[in-house]
Amino acid sequence: MTPVQPLLEVRGLTKRYLGLTAVDDLSYALETGSVVGLIGPNGSGKSTSIDCMSGFQAADRGQWFLDGRELTGLAPHRIARAGLTRTFQTVRAYDELTLLENLCVAAQENDGVSWMQALLRGKTLRGADAAARARGLELLATVGLANYADAPAAILSYGQRKLLAIAASMMPKPRLVVLDEPVAGVNQTMVRHIEEVIRKLNAEGVTLLIVEHNVDFIMSLCSRVIVLESGSKIADGPPGLIRSDPRVLAAYLGNKRAAELDAGNG
Amino acid sequence: MNAISVRALAFVIGLMVLFAIPKLTGNEYVLALGISFAALSVLSGGLNLVYGYTGLLSFAQVGFFGIGSYTAALLVTEQNWSLWSGVAAGGALATAVGMVIGYSSLRLSRHAFAIVSLSFALLCMIVARDWVSLTRGAMGIPGLPAPTINLPGGMRWRIAQPADFYYLLLGFAVFAHALIYGVVTSRLGRAMRAIKLNEPLAQSQGINPLAYKLLAIALSALLAGMVGGLFVFYLTIVDPSIFDFYYTETMLIMVIIGGPGSFWGVLASSAVLTAVPDLLRFTTDLRMVLYGVVLIAAMLLFPGGLGGWLHRRRVARWRQPRVAP
Repeated sequence: MTPVQPLLEVRGLTKRYLGLTAVDDLSYALETGSVVGLIGPNGSGKSTSIDCMSGFQAADRGQWFLDGRELTGLAPHRIARAGLTRTFQTVRAYDELTLLENLCVAAQENDGVSWMQALLRGKTLRGADAAARARGLELLATVGLANYADAPAAILSYGQRKLLAIAASMMPKPRLVVLDEPVAGVNQTMVRHIEEVIRKLNAEGVTLLIVEHNVDFIMSLCSRVIVLESGSKIADGPPGLIRSDPRVLAAYLGNKRAAELDAGNG
Repeated sequence: MNAISVRALAFVIGLMVLFAIPKLTGNEYVLALGISFAALSVLSGGLNLVYGYTGLLSFAQVGFFGIGSYTAALLVTEQNWSLWSGVAAGGALATAVGMVIGYSSLRLSRHAFAIVSLSFALLCMIVARDWVSLTRGAMGIPGLPAPTINLPGGMRWRIAQPADFYYLLLGFAVFAHALIYGVVTSRLGRAMRAIKLNEPLAQSQGINPLAYKLLAIALSALLAGMVGGLFVFYLTIVDPSIFDFYYTETMLIMVIIGGPGSFWGVLASSAVLTAVPDLLRFTTDLRMVLYGVVLIAAMLLFPGGLGGWLHRRRVARWRQPRVAP
């Protein structure tokens, strides 16, 4: 254990649906500045665990802390304001708003402008709005959508919407960003582009937790990978070790095939 | 001149024409239409804030309107309150009731709110009819006196003529729409639209949907309650028909044709749809049929209203192949 406090600490997170335990006593910690992958077969509890952490589902048990501050049981908007933002598997955007508006909305609850100041449109508001616009344009440039700043989000392709969602999750300068399947269903060129964007954002100091089915993407991008199966953590370590972990192979390929591979290796 | 100053000029001229109408024509019929427009446009503007911007289907507006009407009428006639304090009390009571039904039902879902708002509107009419000791039941409170307003400089304005009511209600409507416009063009309005367009996304960005929904409901209830309090003195009677479903229907049509979430669209459709049934008066037999035809034509030509049409045009323009920048 490092003596420094982890950025995110999850302790004993558990979520049950009737008889099924979707997430079972899950614990882990993330270090500031890291890019960590969360993988596992279908139904292993990846998405459920982050839905609980971001407040969109109520956990049955467990606690989680961001920078030592407990977030357990808070409403989604409070968790976001505390510095944990996320994207969604089903890509979400405000279709009728422009790209720049999409981004400015994402920052407006974090700049300390009150409702009254917003209505009276004084200096505080103008300063905050100008800062948000500048950051929004910068992020649009980072993800390669700067040409469409004033276009409605409805015109974007599926992959571009994923990029917009990533940019929006960065707007309020969060401590931790959770990306839910950032490359699912996008073409190879776009996968590489998104990978580059994530590297760039991480280089600027953002900590990321990435949930993905695309194992190659995770292995090439992340310094550490957590593997879930049936709601429990079965492996946690650098990609090189995860690739050859017999339990991971068993989870992905079935026990028999994994044993064959193992025998082949040995 | 740039586009903004042209629009501002058109707006100022339009407003001057509206305020000059009583001088241009003494026709009471025209003034009556103007008064209806002023009152209905405040109701539909408030509904637009709740439904068009925040995405909450609400049938409660007519309840707030009636509560404001009864409160102002009772306080002015029985407690000798001044017009403004009676109207303010009506607005305040409507707001308080709106917060209660909003807070209690929105914790469940949007659908719960729609149902509770409908039940609330129906309940209002039953209470007005059956709480005879307070509201005098179905008889209502007839013969409301012409109110008097103290103006600065010791002048007193007795509001008795249709032209007086026209000025009063038009003045209030300008205030109400300015307030709504201020909200919808601010970042508060942007957050409301975000909640309507994608609530989970808004939540994930730190936006508290309940707070913005309650703000929209409170503001619409306040304005509906106040305009109700002013409008009854023009009617000179308040009875349970102030809660009539006719008002709800009219407001919904105005918002849907104008385009939910489009401030100017709803304002324009409020004007047109106040006038259309009366313009069709030349043929009494076919009047309502023609009104129906106009509504169907509007829905076919502008699905999603004026606002929806503008959005589609904007998307089409961006989708056109363009020279690389």
